[in-house]
Amino acid sequence: MKKTTFIEAITEALDEEMARDERVFLIGEDIGIYGGVFKATKGLLDKYGAARVIDSPISEVYIAGGSVGAAMVGLRPVPEIQFADFITPSMDQIIQQMAKLRYRSGGQWTCPMTMRVCCGADIGGGLYHSQTNEQWFFSQPGLIVVMPSTPYDAKGLLKSAIRGDDPVIYFEHKRLYRWIKEEIPEDDFTVPIGKAALRKEGSDVTLVAYGLMYHRSMEAALALEKDGISAEVIDMRTILPWDREMILESVKKTSKAVLVQESSKTGGVMAEISATIMEEVFDYLDAPVTRVCGLDVPAVPFAPPMEHYFLPNAEKISKAVKKIIEY
Amino acid sequence: MPASKKKTVKSKTDQIGLPDETMLGLFSNLLKTRLLDERFRKLYRQGRFAGTYFSAVGQEATTVGPTYGLRDEDLIAPSHREIGASVTKGVPLDKIAGQIYARESSPDKGKSHPCHYGWKAKGVIAPSSTLAGQTVIGTGCAMGFQIQKRDNVVLAFFGEGATARGGWHEALNYAGIYKLPIVYICQNNLWAESVPASLAAAITDFSDRAKAYGFPGVTIDGNNVFTTHKTAVEAIDRARKGDGPTLIECKTYRWYGHSEIDPADYRTSQELEEWKSRDPIKFAEKTLMDLGLLTTAKLEALVEQFNQEIDEAIDAVDKDKYADPEEAYNDVYSEQFPVRRVDW
Repeated sequence: MKKTTFIEAITEALDEEMARDERVFLIGEDIGIYGGVFKATKGLLDKYGAARVIDSPISEVYIAGGSVGAAMVGLRPVPEIQFADFITPSMDQIIQQMAKLRYRSGGQWTCPMTMRVCCGADIGGGLYHSQTNEQWFFSQPGLIVVMPSTPYDAKGLLKSAIRGDDPVIYFEHKRLYRWIKEEIPEDDFTVPIGKAALRKEGSDVTLVAYGLMYHRSMEAALALEKDGISAEVIDMRTILPWDREMILESVKKTSKAVLVQESSKTGGVMAEISATIMEEVFDYLDAPVTRVCGLDVPAVPFAPPMEHYFLPNAEKISKAVKKIIEY
Repeated sequence: MPASKKKTVKSKTDQIGLPDETMLGLFSNLLKTRLLDERFRKLYRQGRFAGTYFSAVGQEATTVGPTYGLRDEDLIAPSHREIGASVTKGVPLDKIAGQIYARESSPDKGKSHPCHYGWKAKGVIAPSSTLAGQTVIGTGCAMGFQIQKRDNVVLAFFGEGATARGGWHEALNYAGIYKLPIVYICQNNLWAESVPASLAAAITDFSDRAKAYGFPGVTIDGNNVFTTHKTAVEAIDRARKGDGPTLIECKTYRWYGHSEIDPADYRTSQELEEWKSRDPIKFAEKTLMDLGLLTTAKLEALVEQFNQEIDEAIDAVDKDKYADPEEAYNDVYSEQFPVRRVDW
């Protein structure tokens, strides 16, 4: 089997879902003629035509809100937000329309759409091309938020998102696009939304992460192994609703948790997971739940040493693990 | 005398250019909307429902005229002052009253807000409070119709104040590029809550905005239901044929405050009285009477009939109970993702 990159997996999922279901269409900036700035939609305009692969004007409000409308009349829109940094104009439509449509109409209207959002740092993108802002959406019930970390999950989760009946914000970490490759089945498959993946079993500490930070956590876990520390690694995959059962069961087993997140620490996803661990399995804990996160600064700074200083990495994660092991 | 009167009548009918049945239909919907609206205001003052109420009295012709004659599958993208569109689209009165009373039988089961009428069976989108919000998603619905090659249209309603929002411009810009099947209806009632139109834009006729997006814009008398209907029908036909959107600005006025808690003391009584003298219902009534299509007896019968329908609808929702508070957990996601219940 050939190895598929993360971005190829996304293109394959889009292609296969468009072939499978004529209600699926794409809309976004530079996605048609240009094939997307990262080439995620390459070749799809030629294959499916301009009515289903729409090059939109620079209008993130409309890309989001227009997709909500199209979903309301029975289509399955897959809008693309070119950079997570530019999602801010869409917020009104995402929060007030996409997330609340089903609720405010008593279930009369639904919003089956999948918004692909390219996010993440560690690529030298600077302040406005590096953000991960999943925490803004994590605090909005009504939305599904996913962030895959492997080509298999990227493809399977995207398919589940497109086939599902709920509005999904699908984060793609751009650092993973061409870095992560793996063999994936050629047959049709999906990955269920709401289920985390236990990537490595361990007994001393639980590491929880998603997206690029899953890979950094795994690097840390492998390094810790050499020091005789057995870390369990959970890749959340779906951020909202998150897999409580897997995370809480793991913490009950290891009695320690280090939670890793690329975005700023305060008010982030891991704050909620930490609070839930405290509420639900406090008696099992042997050390304080600890977070390793991006800095509490406005966004990821540009200069390479500053960018790396901002980001969690294997070394920082290992340090945090050792600190609570010694607690 | 009778002969000449008859002649006058005929020429006036020709001038209006609408079949008798349409004119009566328009008037009936105007009248029903007015009676229902004034009833809700009264009920609010009696403390019969919570929240507030956004009256559309004075600007009924801007919604009734354009909506009259639409198909069930055509969509209304409303804001909060489009009770006339719901009435005219044929939303059952108990569903409209249900929305106001927020009871179990309400279309949203009591979740959203009074005046956020939405009834899918008749193509009325349940709105958000974000102004021009439904202009954006309504444009998306029109994009959907175009992709699906359906010959349905969307009517998007908003006030002149909402045209200052960025999303409004993005939506109209997009609709112009793709010639989407949508008609934009601006109800310019001169006041965005307390802000006069002169502080909302540097233009007087808001239809001028259409020029920037490459489709026609017209400004009309929004208190003449025959004009709003005819202008909209033309625009709807254009949209249905694939010739693209139209922006129709209806000059009108709301008689009461932004909502019932607003005394509207930012405007002069002179301005109010002047607009009250241009009552869209009285105007239509007089026109029909002059044409011999309506008599005092017939009018009284209509008032009685509509009041009875309203009584029945109000009675039904008044007797209805509120939904179990646990209803709050429903309709967040599809059944695949149930919401966790709290422990206390």
